[in-house]
Amino acid sequence: MTQRVLSVIDRAYRGAVEAQFFDAMYGLLDLHAQFDQVDLALRGPAVTMAVDDDTYRPSLELGGLRIDTLPDYRRSVRDLVADGIGVLVDESALRELGFPAERLVPGVTGLDPAALARRWPDYDQVWFL
Amino acid sequence: MTGSTETKTGTGLERRMWDLLLVVTAAPHSSDVITSALRLSQAVLDKGGSVRFWACGYATMLTQTTHGETKLVNTRDPGGSYPSTAAIAARMIEAGAGRFGWIGCTACSEERGATQHLPQVRRRSPARLAATMAAAKRTLYLGGA
Repeated sequence: MTQRVLSVIDRAYRGAVEAQFFDAMYGLLDLHAQFDQVDLALRGPAVTMAVDDDTYRPSLELGGLRIDTLPDYRRSVRDLVADGIGVLVDESALRELGFPAERLVPGVTGLDPAALARRWPDYDQVWFL
Repeated sequence: MTGSTETKTGTGLERRMWDLLLVVTAAPHSSDVITSALRLSQAVLDKGGSVRFWACGYATMLTQTTHGETKLVNTRDPGGSYPSTAAIAARMIEAGAGRFGWIGCTACSEERGATQHLPQVRRRSPARLAATMAAAKRTLYLGGA
């Protein structure tokens, strides 16, 4: 039995200091090899995680401790693409938030919501992360 | 900011006044609010003020000794070191030198089985919430449990 999975993230930014690397995209990076295919659809505010940015370095200092291991969502998206995971982004949500599709991390596919929904039957399972 | 001041109570006892009390019922891993609360605390400390962090709900998980010093191994960066929230809280309490206090709500801790707090964390009953608020010049309630 094939196991092709479309995972969907609608809710972004679920913890920084407590999560560091351990977020939903890490879960995909860590587990996708167990399945025949894993793709990711970003919708709603989560689309901003695929907007490219090379200058922002997430880091802060608490109690004299420099914490530079905070989530770096663009890097995670780049890693997903490099691992062969298809990353799909709802372009209408992207537009509503003021970002052109050209700002997406290279290798990410922008789709209108209807086209995104039409892809669901291509998968055996749809996960809402 | 003064760091700490004291006022007379009805009993004649001196009561310490904190500059800021954060009542945090928002859950870790739900949004970036825990990070915001810690950054806000640090900003007040950097200005010489005093802060109390009252952890309620799932925020009581942040200071469990069962976290250890570091998070679990990052399989994509096995050699990396990622401080646990308990370690970060301990560092902030130590560096605060009496100006940063952490309270674990006893009811929320019991309800979630989160009873293994750092020894530096003061356990306090929610029956003392109003009194704790009265001992702070300002209170911010960060909800979302």
